[in-house]
Parts: sequence; C-alpha cells; structure tokens
Amino acid sequence: MNIYVLVKYVPDTEAIVKVASESELEIENKYFTSYFDEVAIEEALKLKEKFGGKVTVVTVDNKKIDALRRGIAMGADEAVQITDPGLEESDPFGIARALAAFLQKEPYDLILCGRQAMDDDAGVVGPATAELLGIPHASAILGLDVADDGKSARVDRQIEGGKEHIRCSLPALLTAQKGLNVPRIPQVMGMMKAMKADVRKVDLTELGVDPAMVGASGQKVRVLKYEPPPQRSSATMVEEDFPENVKHLVKLLQEEAKVL
Amino acid sequence: MAQGIWVFVEHADGAIRKVSLELLSAACGFAKKTNGTVGAVLFGTGMDSMVEQVTGYADRIYVVDDERLSPYTADGYTLALTHLAREDTPAILLAGSTSMGRDLFPRVAMRLETGLAPDCTGLEVADDGKLVATRPIYGGKVFCKVSIPDSYPQMATVRPNTFPLEEPNRSGERVQIDAPLQEIDIRQKVEGFDKAGQEKVDITEAEVVIGVGRGIKDPANFKAVKELADVLGATIGVTRAVVDNGWWDVNDQIGKSGKNISARLYFAFGLSGAIHHVLGIQTCKTVVAVNSDPNALIFNYADYGLVGDMTQVIPALKEHIAKAKGEV
Repeated sequence: MNIYVLVKYVPDTEAIVKVASESELEIENKYFTSYFDEVAIEEALKLKEKFGGKVTVVTVDNKKIDALRRGIAMGADEAVQITDPGLEESDPFGIARALAAFLQKEPYDLILCGRQAMDDDAGVVGPATAELLGIPHASAILGLDVADDGKSARVDRQIEGGKEHIRCSLPALLTAQKGLNVPRIPQVMGMMKAMKADVRKVDLTELGVDPAMVGASGQKVRVLKYEPPPQRSSATMVEEDFPENVKHLVKLLQEEAKVL
Repeated sequence: MAQGIWVFVEHADGAIRKVSLELLSAACGFAKKTNGTVGAVLFGTGMDSMVEQVTGYADRIYVVDDERLSPYTADGYTLALTHLAREDTPAILLAGSTSMGRDLFPRVAMRLETGLAPDCTGLEVADDGKLVATRPIYGGKVFCKVSIPDSYPQMATVRPNTFPLEEPNRSGERVQIDAPLQEIDIRQKVEGFDKAGQEKVDITEAEVVIGVGRGIKDPANFKAVKELADVLGATIGVTRAVVDNGWWDVNDQIGKSGKNISARLYFAFGLSGAIHHVLGIQTCKTVVAVNSDPNALIFNYADYGLVGDMTQVIPALKEHIAKAKGEV
C-alpha cells in the first residue's frame, strides 16, 4: 500500500500563546508534531507492517520540517515538504489546493491526517483535500480495518453517543481521532535516520498551482482580529468544614448562580 | 444575489438536534435585524414530523426526501447540499459543530469554492449581511474573529449551547426539492452503530456536565458520580488521565485531545486544572471546582470552589441538591 500522511508542526499544548495585538500573536518557541497527526502516522506504519508498501509524510510549511523528521523517526520511508513564498498566509482551503495538486500526481492508495491540527483547530484541510482529489473521506476515525484486497476499508467513526461503522471504498482520505492507536515513541536508530533523511522539496511551479488560488490572495476566510479569551472572575470559595461547606455551595448554586 | 440565512438541520431518532434549533433561533434573530429570511434544510426520509418541529423557526423549509440520504453519508449529503445551495444561494449557511457538521461542511465549502469558519463560539451579522464569526484557536488560548470576505454562502459550524433557544414565531412553507442522487456513486456505506458508555446526551451538547479527574482514585467510585449525575440530569466527562488509565471511554474525554464543551453548569471533581483540560471548558458558563488541594489550578478557572475529597463531597452534594430541587 502506498500511504501518504499529511502532518503539521504546531505549538505544543503547553506553549504560551498570547495576543500581542489585534493582528499579531506571540507564540512561545515550544513546538511538537500535532498529536492527531502522530496517530495518523502510527496507523500508516501499522498498515505498512501488514500489507507492505511505503509511507510518505507530507507537510506544507516554509520553515519547519520537524514533523517530517518525526515521521521518518517513527518509521516513515519518505518525506515531502511543499514550500513556496506564495503559500504564506494560506487558509486551510489554500493548503488543501497545494496538497491536492501534489497528491494527484502520486500513486496513493490511502491518505491519512489528523482530525484537526492543534493550532487553528479547523479540521478543514483533510475533507477539502479529499474533495479536490475526488475521493471519499471519513473524519475522526477510531478504528480502521483495510480489506485484504485493498479496495475498501471498514472505518469506525466517532459520532455523538457512540461509534458508527462505515464501509468506505479506497482510495480515500481518513482523519485520525485519539483512540485509533497509541503512537510509538521513535527509537535512537530512527532518530539518527531522520537526521540524515533527504526531504524532497516541491514548490508551486512544480505543482502547477495558480498562485492566485493560494496564499493571501486565495483566502476564503479572513482573520479580522485576535482577542484574548474571556476571563473568569475569581472563584467564590466555600470555607466551612464538611458537610457545612457542601450545604453552603448548594445554596450559592441555587440562590446566587441560579443554576440548579 | 445571495440572500437568506440557512441552517442545515440535524435530526436523530425522530427528533431535531437541539443545536439545530439553537441555530435556527439565532438565525431568526439575525433575519429580524437584516429583514432577511430563514431557511431550514432537512435531509432524510419520511420528514413530516421533522418539518413540523422546525416550522416555527423558518420561512422556508427545504426538504430532500430520498432514501439515499438515510443514514448520513458525506458523499450523499455533499451532493444534496451543494445542489440546493447552487439553485438558490443563501448568504449564510450554518450547521452545528457536531460530528456530522464537521465531516460535511468542509467538503461542501470546497465544492462551492467558498469559505468556512469551523467550530465557532459566537456569530454576529452586520447590517450589510456580512457574517463575523468567533472561533477559539490554539485550543482556546486565543479567540479569533473571522469573515468570509467575497464568496457565498458564508459558512460556519457552531458549538452546541452557544445560542439560547427562542420561542418559535414563524410559519415556514415546505419546499420539496429533488437532488440528482441517482447520478452519483455513494462511496461510504453505513453498516452499524455501537452505543458507547452513557445513555445520555453527548458531553458537547449537555447542559450540565460532571468532569472527573484522577482524584476519583478508584473506578468503583464512579457509582457515586453516576448517582449525582442522575440527580442533576448531567452527563459525565473525564480528563485525559482517567481515559489513559482505562477507567472511562475516550468518547467522553474533555480537553485538547478530547472534546470542547459549553455546558451551562460544569462540575470539576478531583482534577488539577491542567491546561489541556481547562482549554476544553472555556466556554462553560458556571464552573464549580472540588479538589482536595487548595492550590489546584482549577480554582483559577472556577466560579465556585470547595476544598475537599471528592469521594466524600459527592454523596453529600447529591443529597443536598436532591433536597434543594425537591423544595423548588
């Protein structure tokens, strides 16, 4: 199986992200490979172990290729960086255009990515890329079982109140949810391989993408303003001893907050 | 010229999903302000009772009654929705930020070559009909206002419990539409469904959520939590640590690698308030924290706090809440 995994390097969950001004963010230099993307890489590696083939990690990023190195360290075979100054300020639809332009020339059987990247939390790139490629998608999957003939897969999708089982024809694009697997920790050999790995660079000219469709000029969604999250005023603490404190709390919830 | 605000309406087991009614309520408010119209979009089979449930919330109810639209598939619904939106382009197209909304809308937006603001916690419509959507990014460390500047429909998915339900006051006309579903190959086929864990409304939609952290110590203690949940009509959610210990299903995990919730009332029991978790509860209205550590971070994010052992506090809380509710 030829599997492509779309990955992104994003600020770590613990990283401090502050609103510097309405149009600018201050992001602490603490990054990691978006967790759901790691889940996608792990799933690809498991499929390769079962069916053979090749796993390629792909990112759209002009600066950071650490997510590609992480993918190689985990066991991916090849890495591709889509990079071009014209891609700066792309929205998810622009990123999907670049990815689809690349993927349509590749011999893919399956494309995987995280259910959303942990920076913009949008979850748009996966389904939008599938749409451009004309292949089916399923998002937020918790289980995957590819048929022996490689022509379809049984997919478990997380929906409200449970799991839905879908039979989906391949090739398809599937987005990974936490719970699909537990991503492996790269071993020293893998890390060394990743340091030396060749990363193939691809630009918009090679992809034949119209620069007007990506970057700032291709934006379908425009950021107007960044704001800090709403602040909660400090908590009212109930100070009495048990069980008086519980009684007091219930009284506050009923009479002051009026939430019971 | 694109006009009207449409809501893609979800239904399950014969009932309209609450988030869809919330969005229709909001759409009615926006339409009043801009002198616009509200459209409700319903897909499925045997839709009479569904239509009845939304009649008061829309001017036009667009119904595609087709067996190929039951149950949901991304391929079938994308075709039907893009077909409708091309016939009669709405200015704004909304859906709940649910598993269906988030599966469907990105694909529809790409096919219509328009923009989408996903997973919003606020919407405004300017006098000129332009949508301004608020969405948390970086897990909620930043709130971002976005617009869809020059394409239609302006699309957004919105979290449950963002807008209040209003009294219905319109009387919608049913518009039956045929979509060319026979012409496509629907490549996803739903084979089954497993109910997970609680027979309760999902944590993303629940009005009252009880969050449980590592302080539960022993999964046997969930019995008391469930009893409190029954008294409150609450759904139970858990932290990552509880899921990673194998004590509860990942479907109910709150936080950055789980789900974001917007409950009216949230109880945080025995959880420290790690950033992963508090990002997921940011849009909850009233937060009550119970923790044995007086310095636990969660108290910084709470409206009410109580220092104590959750296993001791929960049964007492259940008793007093039951009493309080009984007296009302």
